[in-house]
Amino acid sequence: MDLEAFQNRVLPAKNKLFRFALRMLGNDEEARDVIQEVFIRVWNGRENWGDIQNMEAWCMRITKNLSLDRLRSIQRKGTYPVAEGFDVQHADATPDVKTELGESMQHVSQLIAALPEKQRQIIHLRDVEGYTYNEISEMLELDMNQVKVNLFRARNAVREKLMKINAYGL
Amino acid sequence: MDSKKLEELVKKYWDCETSLEEEQQLREYFRGDSIPETWRETAALFRYFDEQKTKTVEPQFDETVVTRIKEMPKKREGKVVKWVTASLRIAAGVAVLLAAVYFVRQELREDQAIAVEDTFEDPQQAFEETKKALLMISKGFGRAEQQAKKINMFNEAQEKVQTTESEL
Repeated sequence: MDLEAFQNRVLPAKNKLFRFALRMLGNDEEARDVIQEVFIRVWNGRENWGDIQNMEAWCMRITKNLSLDRLRSIQRKGTYPVAEGFDVQHADATPDVKTELGESMQHVSQLIAALPEKQRQIIHLRDVEGYTYNEISEMLELDMNQVKVNLFRARNAVREKLMKINAYGL
Repeated sequence: MDSKKLEELVKKYWDCETSLEEEQQLREYFRGDSIPETWRETAALFRYFDEQKTKTVEPQFDETVVTRIKEMPKKREGKVVKWVTASLRIAAGVAVLLAAVYFVRQELREDQAIAVEDTFEDPQQAFEETKKALLMISKGFGRAEQQAKKINMFNEAQEKVQTTESEL
């Protein structure tokens, strides 16, 4: 495979990969670094591209693994604290922020950031990126049941907290 | 979307029974302006998902990656370099082996040379030295013989005792 195939088949996934890495790392710069590394790896492994059925899922899987490595090394070095419930939204607040809906979206952002790692990954891949359960199980190397169970837990955790906010205005 | 259908669909969503198409319908519905107050939080959730999808890398990203790829060493060159380093390694191994064999042989030769070398130039002097050494040995033997005689006395005494005992 040549560079042209790489540009047509692999690079277009960049934004999805970036968002996923960002979801895991909570930092634009780190996420960008990680996906550059992902593309270099995919390029270096181009001899095996023929064996890969779903290139996007394959790239996503590498993104997940490299992001996890990066997270571990960040936590070990203590370069920057990855606080529970970090909020990727704050950096570029939308005009909605001032409205009530905007405020609720801030709450949602915090709720999702506070989910356990796996649930956060799955709700992101399903509800933001719109992947099928099958694709998600391939990306995260989980079986389909685990994907469904984790998605169910994630959505219900969000729902419960949203209902509390609605009821008590918290 | 009427409120009944919406309610149904949202329930299905929480139970993880919606298809991707149905989830898309929900997203599109909640994008609208006239959302009833009761759905405010749910709308916030779907709006949040929508908004997350707008995050992208900078436009120069492709270029950065392609430049990095082009800067990497070509595969074929890599192979040649690999072959050269491999043969250099073998050559180094052989050189070390040859050097080791050479030094060991040198060492052995030196040892043998020392073994056959004469220590005296003059035969007469060598004879005197040998005689001296032999005398030293014979002196030692003489001393040992005297000591052995003492032991003999014990033996004789023992024999005498034994014979007298048997006579009695």
